[in-house]
Amino acid sequence: MKSVHDTRLLFHRYTVQMLRNPVWLFVGFSVPVLYLVLFTPLLKELPGTKGFPTGSVLDLFLPGILALMAFASGSSAGFNTIFDLQSGLIERFRVTPASRFAILIGPILSGLVMMTVFDGVVVAVGYGFGFAVHWLGLLVLVVLLWLLAAMMAAFSTATALVTKDISSFAAIINGINLPILLLAGVLLPISLGPLWLRTLAHLNPLYYLVAASRVLAAGHIAQPAVWQAFAILVPLCTLVLVWATRVFRRAVA
Amino acid sequence: MDTIITTTGLRKSFGTGTGAVDAVRGISIDVARGEVFGFLGPNGAGKTTTLRMLTTLLPIDGGTATVAGLDVARQPQEVRSRIGYVSQLGGADDLATGRENLVLQCRLYGVDLEPATRRTETLMEVLDLAEFADRRVRTYSGGQRRRLDVALGIVHQPDVLFLDEPSTGLDPQNRANLWDHVRALRDRGTTVFLTTHYLEEADALCDRLVIMDHGEVVVEGSPRDLKRQVAGESVVLALRDDVGAGVVEQASTLLAGQPYVREISAEGDQIRLYVEDGSATLPRILRLLDGEQIGIKAMNLSEPTLDDVFLRQTGRSLRDTGVSDAGPSERGGHVGHGRRKGHAA
Repeated sequence: MKSVHDTRLLFHRYTVQMLRNPVWLFVGFSVPVLYLVLFTPLLKELPGTKGFPTGSVLDLFLPGILALMAFASGSSAGFNTIFDLQSGLIERFRVTPASRFAILIGPILSGLVMMTVFDGVVVAVGYGFGFAVHWLGLLVLVVLLWLLAAMMAAFSTATALVTKDISSFAAIINGINLPILLLAGVLLPISLGPLWLRTLAHLNPLYYLVAASRVLAAGHIAQPAVWQAFAILVPLCTLVLVWATRVFRRAVA
Repeated sequence: MDTIITTTGLRKSFGTGTGAVDAVRGISIDVARGEVFGFLGPNGAGKTTTLRMLTTLLPIDGGTATVAGLDVARQPQEVRSRIGYVSQLGGADDLATGRENLVLQCRLYGVDLEPATRRTETLMEVLDLAEFADRRVRTYSGGQRRRLDVALGIVHQPDVLFLDEPSTGLDPQNRANLWDHVRALRDRGTTVFLTTHYLEEADALCDRLVIMDHGEVVVEGSPRDLKRQVAGESVVLALRDDVGAGVVEQASTLLAGQPYVREISAEGDQIRLYVEDGSATLPRILRLLDGEQIGIKAMNLSEPTLDDVFLRQTGRSLRDTGVSDAGPSERGGHVGHGRRKGHAA
């Protein structure tokens, strides 16, 4: 099929480009590791506090880092889009008969692969510090991480295409990122907060992923948090992908 | 005429309400198969906007456009496989090599890997890029990069190649080299449609051209025919700095009354006139002005240029409208988007 053929070509192009940019790779690796090394020690004294779920600190925190990485890698995708717009690359692709969906999804898939590699590093490092690895749960979690990252990347790319310049794009993405991160319970569980905060968190897709990630990392698969995350992320991801493809199909001046 | 591009009443406006700008206001043109056709005009005339509509990048607001017999609005996908487009920005991938760029571009047009590789090889020979084939594009010079951009536009052997301001930023030598490549393309049967704000480029390269201004076609024809419309040769007289405005007027009136002067116009301390036979007329003008004690600083006789054509049609000189300065609005590819505000009403 044409879109599969084109997707493969563009996936290859973006992956090669990423591998040729060592700075980017270094930053990608260092951020999650910094979280583990600099933030985890702060949590050591927390278990047992009121409202804090019981369990090892890493078992609780590491899945949150994975969710955070998925969110961050997705939402930053648009920065590349802005550069590709400014260099004329996207316009060049849009004049070819290449599938519009492929132009969107090629770089997104490439980002997902890279993210999965980073996830592997985080899990390996976490394992060294005593994180309990449950393979099946992690496998299901990876699927959820892909869904979230793909959704965010498509949203970010389309936003970049609409805004076209880096400052307004960055303003929008940063403005959205902060509340989503604060309401996701990545760094501290939302269950610590008051009722209104917990209610607000339920409007946040990342919240469901974080909740599911903790359950899955503990090795539980048949749990409400897991199917809830799928029920939220699958339709949402589909919706955003359809919208983003439409943005590509429409003119981007 | 075997036409390959036809537009009828093509329109485009940006924005809505009172802020709306009519970038293209009803353009109707026919481009013959196998010719080099040019859009000449100042920045903001609507050249790039028109090009972007014809290349399926911008939706058409009004009128129709067909390329290679296909309706641009209704069959964009079919149009895309028949055309090549080189934007002002180029769009080559900096981190990839020239060869990688070309092979990918080829494959996006549906060519298999092996023929794509072979075609890339040939093309890099033709455009003198073979030497740099395996170097990353970010190391290319301006001229090399421009040739790669052109290669990217023709890798799938399109019927029509659209070039948007192809020689902007090139030095004279690279410009001449690019022109040779464009002519060679035409000789191999490709129709080339280009926009330019360089008079010399339009004159040297185009078989036919339209001059555009404010989103409209001002005049259409071959460079030769257009220049022939401007009768005879043009003489530009610069009067001495110490003469007053009244003297310019006095000289103009005096010259306008002479039988050998066909047309005359004054700008500042300059007087421009069109005469039948320049070399025979110059001494007569000199004698005439000398007799009236009107001092002349400089005198210039030239064959009519496309600038004279533009001047005659619009009352302005292309050189005064910023023909060779790249305005800031060009950077983001928004030509025609903001410069023409004063004419929107």
